Amino acid sequence: MAIANESRQEEHNMQEHHGAGRYVVIWIALLVLTLVTVFTGRMHLPDFGLLLALIIASVKGTLVALYFMHLSEHQGANRLVFGVSIIFVVLLIGFSLMDLGTRFRLANPPGSQYSDLQAVDIGANPTEGRTGGHQQLQKQNHETHE
Amino acid sequence: MSSAHVTPGSVPGPKLAAHFASLEVQKHAARLGMWLFLATEILLFAGLFACYAAYRFLFPEAWAASSRSLDLTMGTINTVVLITSSFTAAMAVHYAKEGKNAMVGHMNVLTLLMAVGFLVIKFFEYKHKFHIGTLPGRYYFYEGIQLPGAPLYFTVYFASTALHALHVVIGMTVLAFATVRAYRVGDFNANNYTQVELGSMYWHLVDLVWIFLFPMLYLV
Repeated sequence: MAIANESRQEEHNMQEHHGAGRYVVIWIALLVLTLVTVFTGRMHLPDFGLLLALIIASVKGTLVALYFMHLSEHQGANRLVFGVSIIFVVLLIGFSLMDLGTRFRLANPPGSQYSDLQAVDIGANPTEGRTGGHQQLQKQNHETHE
Repeated sequence: MSSAHVTPGSVPGPKLAAHFASLEVQKHAARLGMWLFLATEILLFAGLFACYAAYRFLFPEAWAASSRSLDLTMGTINTVVLITSSFTAAMAVHYAKEGKNAMVGHMNVLTLLMAVGFLVIKFFEYKHKFHIGTLPGRYYFYEGIQLPGAPLYFTVYFASTALHALHVVIGMTVLAFATVRAYRVGDFNANNYTQVELGSMYWHLVDLVWIFLFPMLYLV
């Protein structure tokens, strides 16, 4: 009987068993990187502080994923799943920030109550509208009285 | 590299399900399933990271002031505690592959103790915040920082750290099961360590999330 998930790859993906020394090295590297990020974080670098902290965190995360979670030995689908999830995280955060960063104040008429960063009044009920619906209603009433 | 290619039966191992070609394939499937689950966990936290990024972009001053109001010493101690617990969790897998069940238990107990330590430190941080009033949204009453967006920072802070703490508790539960089995049954060996490995992977994810939360919330 042919079995779908049988593959030569499995033998290749077998556990490599190595000494505990490797884990100690990674542990010390993580502690050192923590100290570095605390030290550079306290300096409150104006421009690249955030970037530096994120780079250090990414290096630490990579060490954990590769050696503590054994991604360095387990190739193929495991790496693909992890990599794809990271790509989607970058897409989510990257595109949200690009959207926010490239917004500009729309050419609203002077005195407009509306802003591009505020929820607009969807006008379910003019008397309970959140952003000026009631004012519009007052204006209409005012006009009809005249 | 030792050849752990053991034919089922010669070393006591887990039961081989009929739809898997071999124990290796079965192990591989379990691990891949765990990675898929961890990917969904990463995306769960990514939502909060995106909130953090967007509101930090909109309220940079409030973000800088609020992050400096956190206790950096406690945050750093917690980071060291969590990284060390991740190390002992990795060592538990190492000993499980060698069949040293007592050491698996000891390593997991160390991991659990550090997890408790992490939660205790987190509790004192929360307590301090409830005391001075750096709380989410309309519950905010801290007078030291009066900037638009400061209550929002603490909304993101409490949401992300509380979700992370929940994961710490879940991870502790998973590791506790493996610990009891290592001490009581003691049947982990080169052929049978999936339970320890997957529990440890979950714990590393908890560590991974904190590695990013710590600089985001405390440092920058």
